[in-house]
Amino acid sequence: MRRRRWPLLTLLAFGYAFLYVPILLLIIYSFNESRLVTVWTGFSTKWYGELLRNRQLLDAAWLSVRIAAVNATLAVVLGTLAANALVRHRNFRGRTGFELLLTAPLVMPDVIIGLSLLLLFVAMQQTIGWPGGRGFTTITIAHVTFSMAYVAVVVRARLSQMDRSLEEAAMDLGARPLRVYLTITLPLIAPALFSGWLLAFTLSLDDLVIASFVAGPGSTTLPMVIYSSVRMGVSPQINALATIIVAVVTLAVVIAGILMRRGREVR
Amino acid sequence: MPAPLPSASVRHRRMSRLVNIGIPYLWLGLFFLLPFAIVLQISLAEPALAQPPYTALWQWVDEGLLRIEINLRNFMMVAQDDLYLSALLNSLQVAVICTLLCLLLGYPMAYAIATAPERWRITLLMLIVLPFWTSFLIRVYAWIGILKPNGLLNDALIWLGLIDTPLAILHTQTAVYIGVVYSYLPFMILPLYANLTRLDPSLLEAAADLGCRPMRAFLRVTLPLSMAGIVAGSMLVFIPVVGEFVIPDLLGGPESLMVGKLLWSEFFSNKDWPLASALAILLLALLVVPFVMMQRLQQRMEGSRP
Amino acid sequence: MATLAERRSLEPWQDPKAVPYLRIDRVTKKFGDVYAVDDVSLEIFQGEFFSLLGSSGCGKSTLLRMLAGLEYPSAGRIYIDGVDVTDVPAYSRPVNMMFQSYALFPHMSVEQNVEFGLKQDRMPRRERGERVGEMLDLLKITELRKRRPDQLSGGQRQRVALARSLAKHPKLLLLDEPLGALDKRLRENTQFELVNLQERLGITFVTVTHDQEEAMTMSTRIAVMDAGQIMQVDTPTAIYEFPTCRLVAEFIGSINLFEGKVVATEGNQVLVETRVGRPMRMRAFHPMVLGTPVTVAVRPEKMRLCADFRDDGVNQLKGRVEDIAYLGDVSIYRIRVGDGALVEMTLTNVQPRTEQALTWEQEVAIEWSPTSGVVLTE
Repeated sequence: MRRRRWPLLTLLAFGYAFLYVPILLLIIYSFNESRLVTVWTGFSTKWYGELLRNRQLLDAAWLSVRIAAVNATLAVVLGTLAANALVRHRNFRGRTGFELLLTAPLVMPDVIIGLSLLLLFVAMQQTIGWPGGRGFTTITIAHVTFSMAYVAVVVRARLSQMDRSLEEAAMDLGARPLRVYLTITLPLIAPALFSGWLLAFTLSLDDLVIASFVAGPGSTTLPMVIYSSVRMGVSPQINALATIIVAVVTLAVVIAGILMRRGREVR
Repeated sequence: MPAPLPSASVRHRRMSRLVNIGIPYLWLGLFFLLPFAIVLQISLAEPALAQPPYTALWQWVDEGLLRIEINLRNFMMVAQDDLYLSALLNSLQVAVICTLLCLLLGYPMAYAIATAPERWRITLLMLIVLPFWTSFLIRVYAWIGILKPNGLLNDALIWLGLIDTPLAILHTQTAVYIGVVYSYLPFMILPLYANLTRLDPSLLEAAADLGCRPMRAFLRVTLPLSMAGIVAGSMLVFIPVVGEFVIPDLLGGPESLMVGKLLWSEFFSNKDWPLASALAILLLALLVVPFVMMQRLQQRMEGSRP
Repeated sequence: MATLAERRSLEPWQDPKAVPYLRIDRVTKKFGDVYAVDDVSLEIFQGEFFSLLGSSGCGKSTLLRMLAGLEYPSAGRIYIDGVDVTDVPAYSRPVNMMFQSYALFPHMSVEQNVEFGLKQDRMPRRERGERVGEMLDLLKITELRKRRPDQLSGGQRQRVALARSLAKHPKLLLLDEPLGALDKRLRENTQFELVNLQERLGITFVTVTHDQEEAMTMSTRIAVMDAGQIMQVDTPTAIYEFPTCRLVAEFIGSINLFEGKVVATEGNQVLVETRVGRPMRMRAFHPMVLGTPVTVAVRPEKMRLCADFRDDGVNQLKGRVEDIAYLGDVSIYRIRVGDGALVEMTLTNVQPRTEQALTWEQEVAIEWSPTSGVVLTE
């Protein structure tokens, strides 16, 4: 089937252009001297300097990173447990419900998750007095709730590929179940845990809608700052920020890719 | 008569069950399922100048007398006011059109990647996933600079001599379509790719051997066999897009009102929590059918896998 | 092969006073409604090389996994060295297993793989090192000690898996298709090596295999399984020469079967009337009632050309050569006899093929002796 691949390849090239041109433009114009983003007046890195002096934005970024890190760690733990449940306990009562609950956050519109969690937090505060205020804790809980589902998908795929006889061999050689899990299973699914963590981290760092609902007055996350600045109009500082995010993410994904490839070879 | 299982194995299995199923179930039940009950409850309340801004659904009036007030005002409002209905319909329209557009662009891309030489596949796939890892908000924001009247697209078109006056694209439905397709394309491509790579290439060879021309072989063999991927990808796009907020808010205009944006403004601008809750319930009801469909399909596919 | 003869002559299963090392007592395993293993009882003795032989899905692997403690019986008990281990989990059993896929831990070196079981027993570091060295030596893989499993060939992996399962000095080693993943040539060499190793270490081996040749060469005894049940347990020779049922007869090698019924008994021989026409006189191992429906089973290599065919002779057939399969060392002839049945005969090619007497469409007479087959009652 070698012939006539060019229409397909043209479309593929168009698709990639569609995905990447906007990002490239953001990066190019982050080095533009002019405040008017679309008029090129000269090369400059001044927006990066200004970004680094923007206290509000830096504070928000720090809060977001902290939330994202805690969220990712919790999500990996919970998501891995859920993946264990689905792969290791083939038939348990309520499995369908469990799967439904675990898939729903993947597609559920953010506005629904955000609104419902806020109402839960308000109701809880009224009845049991916890959580006292809204901020770090509530945002983290909200993020864990949807990002654990993503982690579960990633870990589940890896876990179900794993050769069960490896664990049986370890058990046969005298390792108790918990030890088997720690010395055999975990090292073998480590690449999935790593990419799951990274995924949960970026999902949290990226979320505007849910955080907006469950955040209190004192806690502004990075996307919330970006959003209010974007609503005011195009800002070169945001371009600079975008460039930094793209650079960091690309680096992380490339490293993860290399690690995963190595992991696959080891398997 | 199955003999009782040995105690050590039973204990371990019970423990594993408790931890692996119990903990995530508890979390999701508490922070995902329970909130819906509260949303439903508040959608039946009335807004009030209070903290929190809604009336209680039940009240102990007297010793032993419980008064429950169910207020259908919010649902009546939604049913009677054209604004809400048109927002719901518009959301569905945007979701359907964007799903089709994603399919139209995503299927050939997924097919091209799946049939590419093996050593290229991972890289090509990685390039699809990569934008998904960068900030969604910023990627939508990038289109403002491109689509606005004196933006890069208009500049380019004028420079090429294709148009004289800038086109108004930003703050229209078209901008929403572009933004949605751009943001959700990876969600379409990934399940399609996963499905197409599982397809046994010898099936196409068999079809060719039996005298089937390539195009016909595609229509009669590849397409039906990739149906599961098409449905999965479509649902992954359709369901979240119906409730999308950021894209219509940043790129859309007054005529492209969507239910997610409406819910947001009822909540944040009008402080009408009960009405926002009612909208959430309606949105949820709308999405239950496609969601259950997706779930069914997924379970069927798992069942058919060896 | 004096050791082989000695071992055979021991034959502890013939001695009514011998105590079995491994005793499987009416073990049943159900998966849902399916009986994977159906009321199986077996006794295996110290130092045996015992094979469970059967086609895939016959329950042999499930039985092995129950011995390892990776599955638990639905009913019945398992005793190892007199101790009831039915409820003992895999990690506490004095048994080790070599997996069909080898199941080498991909994130550990050869050395770490072999050491794994010793670590679980909290053996002191020095002793551990010595034992690992000893095992690597034994299997001649010392120079591979730092490699990872994905840097090994199939044969090397098999040795590492064997070293790992032997490292804890188990009294009983279970092997799941130990040679299944090797190519044919390597398999033949490894067969002998495995037997030598087993004799040297004096460990009881229980293997699972679907390859009858493998089972025949390596085992002291074979249990032929089908549909979760054991059809026959015996030495390789007995399984081949004296199968007790049609299923075993047909599963191992090829065999000619003639259905008929007993018409006369003469001492320890019976006369059988079959559809092929001529009566057959065969040795019987136990008395048979007249009129019993039986099957006469004769292997192709026990057939020979008949020099003096007589119209009233027994164990003689006349027919026409229909097919010849030339295998080099032997040729298989398929002969269409009187009533239309096909009979197979194997002849050693003593002469080069071109000079052979038999050719297609040739009329031949064949015969066999009363002691070169068996009479099956089921």
